Amino acid sequence: MLKYTLKRLLYSVLILFFVMFIIYILMYNMPMGYVETKARELASRPGATKSYAEWLADLNAQYGMDKGVVQGYFVWLSHAVRGEWGDSWAWTLPVTQEFHNTVWYSFILSLVSFIFEILIAIPLGITAAKKQYSFTDYFTTVISMVCISMPTFFLATLLKYVFSVKLGWFDLSGMQGRNYMNLSDFGKFLDVAKHFVLPSITIIIISIGGLMRYTRTNMLEVLNADYIRTARAKGVPEKKVINYHAFRNTLIPLVTTLGGSLPGLFSGALITESLFAIRGIGFASYASMTQADIPFIMFYLAFISILTLLGNLISDLLYGLVDPRVRLS
Amino acid sequence: MADKYYLNAALKARAAKAVDRKTDGEIALDDISRVKVLSPGRQVFKRFIRNRLAVFGSMLLIFMFVFSFIGPLFYSYGQKQIFYKFDRQTVNYAMAKDNTAYNGYDIDPDAAVERTVNNAMNSRIKSMIADGDTLRFEMGKDNAYEIEKLRDDIYRVSIADLTPICTYGSSTVNIGTYSQVRKTIEFRGEEVEGLADAMTAAVKKNAGGGSFTYGGVTYSYKKGQAKTYAVSASFDGLRYIGEPMDESFEAALEAAAEKGESFVCDGAEYILVANGAAWDVYRRNAARPARVFSRLTVDTFESGAPVSNELRVNALLAAGGSGRFTADGQQWTVAEEDGFLIVRGADGAEYMELTPFSVRRYTGEDSMEYSLKKAVAEKVEEMIEAGAKSGSMACLLPMQGESGEYVYDENGVLQYQEAELVISQRETGEFVITAEQTIYVIDRFSAPSSRHILGTDGDGFDVLARIMYGGRVSLMVGFVVVFLEIFLGVIMGGLAGYYGGWVDMLIMRLVDIFYCLPSLPIMIILGAMMDALRMNTYVRLLIMMAALGIMGWAGVARLVRGQILSLREQEFMVATEATGIKVKGRIFHHLVPNVMPQLIVTATMGMGSVIITESTLSFLGLGVKHPLATWGTMINSVSSASAMAHYAYIWIPVGLLICLTVIAFNFVGDGLRDAYDPKAKR
Repeated sequence: MLKYTLKRLLYSVLILFFVMFIIYILMYNMPMGYVETKARELASRPGATKSYAEWLADLNAQYGMDKGVVQGYFVWLSHAVRGEWGDSWAWTLPVTQEFHNTVWYSFILSLVSFIFEILIAIPLGITAAKKQYSFTDYFTTVISMVCISMPTFFLATLLKYVFSVKLGWFDLSGMQGRNYMNLSDFGKFLDVAKHFVLPSITIIIISIGGLMRYTRTNMLEVLNADYIRTARAKGVPEKKVINYHAFRNTLIPLVTTLGGSLPGLFSGALITESLFAIRGIGFASYASMTQADIPFIMFYLAFISILTLLGNLISDLLYGLVDPRVRLS
Repeated sequence: MADKYYLNAALKARAAKAVDRKTDGEIALDDISRVKVLSPGRQVFKRFIRNRLAVFGSMLLIFMFVFSFIGPLFYSYGQKQIFYKFDRQTVNYAMAKDNTAYNGYDIDPDAAVERTVNNAMNSRIKSMIADGDTLRFEMGKDNAYEIEKLRDDIYRVSIADLTPICTYGSSTVNIGTYSQVRKTIEFRGEEVEGLADAMTAAVKKNAGGGSFTYGGVTYSYKKGQAKTYAVSASFDGLRYIGEPMDESFEAALEAAAEKGESFVCDGAEYILVANGAAWDVYRRNAARPARVFSRLTVDTFESGAPVSNELRVNALLAAGGSGRFTADGQQWTVAEEDGFLIVRGADGAEYMELTPFSVRRYTGEDSMEYSLKKAVAEKVEEMIEAGAKSGSMACLLPMQGESGEYVYDENGVLQYQEAELVISQRETGEFVITAEQTIYVIDRFSAPSSRHILGTDGDGFDVLARIMYGGRVSLMVGFVVVFLEIFLGVIMGGLAGYYGGWVDMLIMRLVDIFYCLPSLPIMIILGAMMDALRMNTYVRLLIMMAALGIMGWAGVARLVRGQILSLREQEFMVATEATGIKVKGRIFHHLVPNVMPQLIVTATMGMGSVIITESTLSFLGLGVKHPLATWGTMINSVSSASAMAHYAYIWIPVGLLICLTVIAFNFVGDGLRDAYDPKAKR
C-alpha cells in the first residue's frame, strides 16, 4: 500500500513536470512584445519605482524569458519549487497573497454546493433505481440529462434573469450589498451568504446530473446482484434490503468518486465566479488569463494540475480502502 | 471466400424450397421461415427505436441539422446582413446663431496679410468695438496694417504705407553698449561722436550706474554683464527722424498729442502711434486694401443662388461705402432696409441679404426654406428679448413619407405638415432647433415581427438567420473536434493496446499528461492570445478546433486501449495471428471495428460537451468572433445586465437551442449504448 502510494506520487510528480512544461511553452509563446508592453505599462503606472528598462530586464530575468524555452522552464521551476511564485501583474500583489485572498471564497462556495449536491443527487438517484422504468425514473433521468446538458453561462444568465431581474430577490452580481458597510457582523455574514445563493444554485444544478446518474447506475447494478436476490429470497424486508444491503454497496463507488473530487473544491468555479463576480480564485484566474498575467496563471495552472492529480490519487487509494476485494498494486 | 455468407438469406431460400415442396402451401408451426433472424445492425436499430428518449433525441438532432444546414438555403436573410429601418426620431434639425466671429475675405489676393496679424484680427476688432475706435494701426513684422471700420460689423484691413516723421514726448531709447575695457560704445544706430569719452568720465565717477548730459541730451547708463553698460538716451519733446517740418505742423502735433488723435496738416494725414510715453508720428499715405472682415454672412433667401467671393467682398465694402458696386460683371446696390442689409441686382430684385444672424440646417447637408428661416429668426429674437433659454413653435415642415423621402403631390408640389420645433439655447450661445424627423437607421433590437420572426440584435442582424448560421458553426465545430479526438485517440490507443510494453507505457504517460492538462483555462489563454494578435475569426475557428481536438484525445485513447487489451486475449485475435494477417489489418480490421460501438457512443456524447465548450468560449468572447455567428456569441452580445433584461427574446431561444442540441446528443448516445449492449454498465 505504502509502496503503491509512493509510486503513484512519483508518477504524479513526473506528470506534473511535463504538464507544466507544456503550459510553460504556451506561456513562453505569448504574443511577441507582451513583456515589453507590460514593462512599459508597469513603468508608467503612478508611483512606479522602476523604469521601463529595469522592468523589462526584471521581468525577463524573473521568468527566464531571456533564455531558451527549456532553460527558462528550469529557471521558473527552481523558483516555483522554492515557493517563489513572483508578483501578479494583474493584481500587483504577490501571487501567493492573491491566492490567499481568493481561495477561501471559492472553497466555501464549492463546499456548500458539494454538500447540497450530495444531499439532493444521491437520494434521487437511489429512488430512481428502486423504481426502475417508473415515471419517477424517467423523470429523474430526463432531469439529470437536462442538468448535464446545461451550459453554465446560460443557466447563470437564466437564474439572474428570473431571480434578479424579474423577481428582484438577489443582486445581479457581486459579493456584497450596497449598504454592506453599515451592517453588523452577523448582518455582513448574511449579506455575503445571500450573494452566494445564486452561484451555489448554478453549481449545484450543473453538477447534480452526473452524480444522480452515477448513483442510479451503481444502485441498479447492486440491485441486480445475487446477494440482493438472496436477501429478498430470505424474506428480508424490502426497506432493509435497500437501506442496508444495497445502499452500503452502492456507497463504494460513490465514496471513491466523491473523495476524488474533494481537492477540486479548492480549484474554484471559473465561469460561475466570473459571471456572478464572486472574488474567488476562479474569478481571479479568469481575469489574469485575459490579461496574460503570466505569474498568476502559471501558479493557478500548477495548482489545479496538482489538485487533479491529487484527486485521482485519493480516488484510487479510497477504492482500495473501502472495498476489501480490491488489492492495490 | 468470394461472397459473404448471409444467414438470413440462406434460411429464407431453404424455407422457400420447403414451401415449394408442399402442394397445399401451408407452413408448419415449426417451419424455419417463421423465425426471423435479425442482423446485429438491425438488432441494435430495433433496440434503439424502442427507447423513446433516444428517438426523441434523434428527431431533435435531425431537426437541428435541417434547421442549421438546410434552413439557410431557404431563408432569405444572411448572417452578416444588416437591416435598416425608417424611424421617427427627434433630431437636431437646424441651428440658429448670432455670428460673433469675424471672418476675413480677400479683397486683393496679392496683398497678403501676415499670419499673426490675420489671426489676431478677431480680438483686435473686438477691442476696437469695446474702445469705440474706428481706425487702428497694427505693426506687423514686415508691414504696418490699418484696420478701418467701414460700418458696424464690417472692417477693412489694408497694408499701410507710413512715413516716419518724428517722435514726440519724453522717451528713452537704448542707443548702445559701452565696454569699460575697450572704452568704446557699440552704437545701435547713429553714432554720437565723443560720447564714449563722456561715458568713461561718468563711469569713473559712479561705477554702479547714473546719468550725465552730453551735447544737450541726457544719457543714462546701467551696469550690465562683464564690465559693460547699457547706454540709453532720454529725449524730450520733438525729435525728427528725417526732414524737420514747419511750425504749423508742430502746433497741430502738439494739439493732437494731447488727445492722442491723428491730425491733418497741409492736406496730409498724420497719425500717432503710442510708443511708451511718447508718440511715434507717421505720415499716412494711401494704403492698399487687403482683406475685409465681417461677422455678416450671406443669405440668398429661397433662391439658394451661388455667391462668389467677389460679390461678397464687394457687397461688404459697398455696404460701408457708396452702396453701389460692380461684381461678376453686373451692377449691384446694397442698402439698409428696415434694419437688414439687402443686396439688389441691376433689375432691382432682392438677391441676397447680409446678416449676422444665420439659420441653417444642423448637418449643413440640406437647405431650409426662407419662410421657415425667417420664422425661426423671429422666434429666436423674441426669446432673446424675453431672456428665455428655450421655447417651441409650430410650423410647417416638408412632409416625409414612410421611407423618409419628401412627399410631392401630383403636380410636383412639395407637401407640408404641421410640426413642432423645439428651440433651446446652448451654453455656448447658439440656438438649436430640434424636430421629429423620419430617418434611416440600423434596425437594432427590433422586437419579433413578421419581417424578423425572432427580431434583430444589437447590430441589426436578423436573429433567426444568425441562429441558423450559428448552429452550423456549433455543429461543425462539434463534428471536427470529435473526429480529431477519435482519430488521434484510436491511433494512440490502438498502438498502446496492441503493442503493450514500452510503447504502451510511453503513450499512457502521454495520456496521463494530456488528461491532467486543464483544458478550459488553456482554451481561455489561447483565446486571449489570439485576441492580442487580432487574428482573423476563421483562423481562430480552426485553431480552436485543433486545440480542442488535441486536448480531448486522451480519454478516447484510454478507452480504446482498455478495449483492445481485453479483445486481444480473445480467440478471434488468436485466429488472425494464426492466419497470418498483417499487423495493420489486425488492428484496423479486427480490433477497431470491435471498439466501434464504444467509439460511436463516446463520439455522440463528446459532441455535446464540445458544443458546450465552444459556446462557453464564444460567450466569453474568446472563441469565434463577431461577424461570424455562433450560439455563444449571440448570447454574449446581450449578456450585459440591461440588455439581458430587455432582450430576453434573443438569448433565451439561443440558450434553449444549445441545451436541446446537447440533450439530444446525450439522449442518442445513451440510447446507442443501451442498444449496443443492453447489459453494459452506464
